[in-house]
Amino acid sequence: MPRYFFDVFDGRKLIRDEIGIELASLEDVRIAAIEALPDIARDELPDGDQRLFWVEARDGQNRAVFKASLDFKAEWSADPREGRPRRKAPPINSAEG
Amino acid sequence: MFEHLLSVLARRDHVSEGERKLIEALPRRIRSFSNGEELVREGTRPNESCHLLSGFAARAQYLPDGKRQLSALHVPGDFVDIHAFLLKLMDHSVVAIGRCEAAFVPHASLLALVEAVPHIGRLFWLSTVIDAAIQRTWITSLGRRSPARHIAYLICELYARLDVIGLVRDNSFEFPATQTDIADMVGLSLVHVNRTIQELRTSGVVVWRNSLITVPDIDRLHDFAEFDPTYLNLIQEPR
Repeated sequence: MPRYFFDVFDGRKLIRDEIGIELASLEDVRIAAIEALPDIARDELPDGDQRLFWVEARDGQNRAVFKASLDFKAEWSADPREGRPRRKAPPINSAEG
Repeated sequence: MFEHLLSVLARRDHVSEGERKLIEALPRRIRSFSNGEELVREGTRPNESCHLLSGFAARAQYLPDGKRQLSALHVPGDFVDIHAFLLKLMDHSVVAIGRCEAAFVPHASLLALVEAVPHIGRLFWLSTVIDAAIQRTWITSLGRRSPARHIAYLICELYARLDVIGLVRDNSFEFPATQTDIADMVGLSLVHVNRTIQELRTSGVVVWRNSLITVPDIDRLHDFAEFDPTYLNLIQEPR
């Protein structure tokens, strides 16, 4: 089975995969990269208000094969110092928010 | 034949010479398994209890989409399904992690033994109770430990359990689990397990080459994992 290398950017630092994982198909590569993102985010958060997480798969010849990313943002709904009213939370079924 | 079992039992209670002989005299059928082979299958009603003589085995449950969770790991000296003696129906499978060898002991022989010697019955009961304690700890790890501490905890636990039966040499032990096996034990994605193990290696708390795990400083690993071995109940008390 071909070996793929999954480099991970956890929002602060890049960790190059020196060992790799053997996977049978490109679909497995895609799933492996995407599945990793919630785990990486869960491991790092809460920490900060904005972070970009990504996972990039390379093949044995160092060519980029697939990249998946997760964009995290967090913000207060009102600035307590300015005394602006909090924006009312939208109803559960609304797409907004 | 049953020297690992007797070592483990003796670590937790005094086992008399007579009890020793009765255990050694249990009839058994020996079978070898290759990596991934099922020792016991979910949904079946075994009439034998499977006892691990060498290698590792894991308890597994599968989801319809093929995902697998390994809910326990067994080492030599463990009965992997003594609870099936009482449950009758298996709610999970037991699968070989690497090559392993097992002895299958008829339930009828175990029943005769525990009826003749209640103390041995209590020792078998104790082993299922300790299996449950280990599972509680695994649940805490699955729910609340960070991936690095979770994997480190697993290594600490294995080290302790293998040390009892003399399978740790030069701070090292063989553990033929694949990264997929580890991912299925700790409930994490393959890439994150791979990355976490690389970070553990880089930090120097663990050396993990092929199937050989070396812990250069076990106290340091215990500290990092926040490991508390109380749940392994490695105390000698009358049971």
